[in-house]
Amino acid sequence: MAQIDDFLWTYQNLLASLGVNGLLALSMYVVLAIGQLSLGQAAFMGLGAYASALLTLKLDAPFPAVIAASMLVPAAVALVIGAPTLRLSGVYLALATVSLGEILRVVLVESDLTGGALGLSGIPEKAGLPLIFACLALALVAFTLICRSRIGRAMEAIREDEIAASASGIDLPAYKMAALVASAMLAGLAGALNAHISSFISPNEYGFDAAVTILSFALLGGIGSPFGPVIGAFILTLLPELLRPLHDYRLVVNGLIIVFAVLFMPHGLLVWPIGRIGAKA
Amino acid sequence: MTHAPKLSPSRRSVFLCALLGFAVLARGAEAADPITIGAIEILSGPNAKYGFSIKNGFDLALEEVNRAGGVRGRPLAIAYEDTGGSKEQAINAARQLIARTKAPLLLGPTLSTEMFAVGPIANERKVPIIGTSTTANGVTAIGPYVFRTSLPEADVVPVTLRTAQAKFGVKKVAVLYGRDDAFTKSGYDVMKAALEKLGVETLATETFGAKDTDFSAQLTKIKSLDPDAVVMSALADAGAGILLAKEAQGFAPKVRFIGGNGLNSPKVLEIAGAAADGLLVGSPWFIGKTDAANQKFIADYKAKYGGEPDQFAAQAYDALHVAASAINAAKDVTGEAIRDALTKTKIVGVTGPLSFTPDRDPADSSGVLVLEVEHGAFKILD
Repeated sequence: MAQIDDFLWTYQNLLASLGVNGLLALSMYVVLAIGQLSLGQAAFMGLGAYASALLTLKLDAPFPAVIAASMLVPAAVALVIGAPTLRLSGVYLALATVSLGEILRVVLVESDLTGGALGLSGIPEKAGLPLIFACLALALVAFTLICRSRIGRAMEAIREDEIAASASGIDLPAYKMAALVASAMLAGLAGALNAHISSFISPNEYGFDAAVTILSFALLGGIGSPFGPVIGAFILTLLPELLRPLHDYRLVVNGLIIVFAVLFMPHGLLVWPIGRIGAKA
Repeated sequence: MTHAPKLSPSRRSVFLCALLGFAVLARGAEAADPITIGAIEILSGPNAKYGFSIKNGFDLALEEVNRAGGVRGRPLAIAYEDTGGSKEQAINAARQLIARTKAPLLLGPTLSTEMFAVGPIANERKVPIIGTSTTANGVTAIGPYVFRTSLPEADVVPVTLRTAQAKFGVKKVAVLYGRDDAFTKSGYDVMKAALEKLGVETLATETFGAKDTDFSAQLTKIKSLDPDAVVMSALADAGAGILLAKEAQGFAPKVRFIGGNGLNSPKVLEIAGAAADGLLVGSPWFIGKTDAANQKFIADYKAKYGGEPDQFAAQAYDALHVAASAINAAKDVTGEAIRDALTKTKIVGVTGPLSFTPDRDPADSSGVLVLEVEHGAFKILD
């Protein structure tokens, strides 16, 4: 028992990162699943992290309320920015959402409330591993059910051909907006959980680097099913730690593994879609 | 001829004997189990230069400690973990060093932002942690097990400003700082407080971003206000850019530019060249300090690594001696005992006398030097 405790304590943060990054990968998956390239996940994560940390630190709000706020604040922002940005598509949408992250970073750096460039420290450790993995499991189950449903089929139709999907009566704007809001809520939740386990957050954690990292989770894992991005996130989170004994060669080997994975599995590691209810083989 | 030279049989036996002798010696030294402490530094990525300077400083001091018989009759060893500058990896590294390596003491991490993430963990497990390069405000307020040997900006900057006021009659200044970097922002907070305390008037406060390369707008405004000096909190690149821009705008040489810890770098001189002349910076250490301990440190460092040490190496070198002295003085090798010993530790290092305040910050700022750039080189202002 003591050994298990010791193990859990040592790797607590790594395990928590697995869960948090899994949630982020899912938040990326939602938008990719309807063929949108939105890179605002890091910004939404930052919004969730800061909203929750401020509520905990300044108002000492109860944790369930904090978690709820961490999802609602990014959702509200997604609703506001969704209307103009979702008219864009492809690389233009990616650019617009990247700039969202930059704007957030500048605001966080300039604001005294958020501690400026120094960030917020001393956030109590309220999010435990059970909560984080419960959130991830819940999200995975929800996505699996959605994939197997009519909504999942509509999403796949939009991904394959927007015009055809629209002609078949799928409400494109509604689906796109819903995906963006769901993505924002998941990223915000991940941000809040991360903030409440690592005790310190700063503006630079939610910049362009983070946006690209989150995208790479989904790309490595593949977006055939919601499990792909989560597997991708697990691998990319574990690799640097597993390779620790290699010391100086750590980053080289890490990079090589990713390059080979992308070269030989361009569609991701998990390419199999989830069977649909009522689908015939 | 690309053949590897072959050893003749007799030579080979000499070589083997030497090898054997070596092995025996090594075994003798390792007869006692080493006491392994942990070090968490940035050893990869863009900030690795700081991590390696620090590692060099540790290793040099470690050699000295072990040559002098180690600690408590056992050799001292350091287990290094890399953070790559990331908060998550720093936390993982700290947790592994504490729970797996069972390190009774941690050194590092490199950045103050990493310390804010790692400090609470060390504190939770009652393992003392000593920052050697963490200068931001509030680092030691994390908890009773968090120490630092690096003089916080709050100690260095006031000395520089006081000296400028006394020497050059600085009465009104303009302030220029990098707003989006934790280090430069924290430096600015200290400058603001110090200027108020000294009763120096601040004419204007201008800011820039970490990646800015054009400072002419800010400097045009500052020039029109005619300050006695410009106080800036910037990292080396931006600082050098500001100096070049002020030269281009033709600031009078009597307008002194005063920098924080970030400008105390040879890189500033390299980039800014003649424009850096007259720059004033405060530093906890200087390579030109002539005391015997410092000269020996520099000579040993050059002999071991080939290059010149910097401030980070000097501070790390001192920190390891502090750590060794505390481990020796502690009643046993537990985190609690070492913490208690640390609070009473007093050594004289290459950065000056070192001991801790009750708040676990360095107690003595008499080692702070004010440096002036003259003809493209730092020298001690006297």
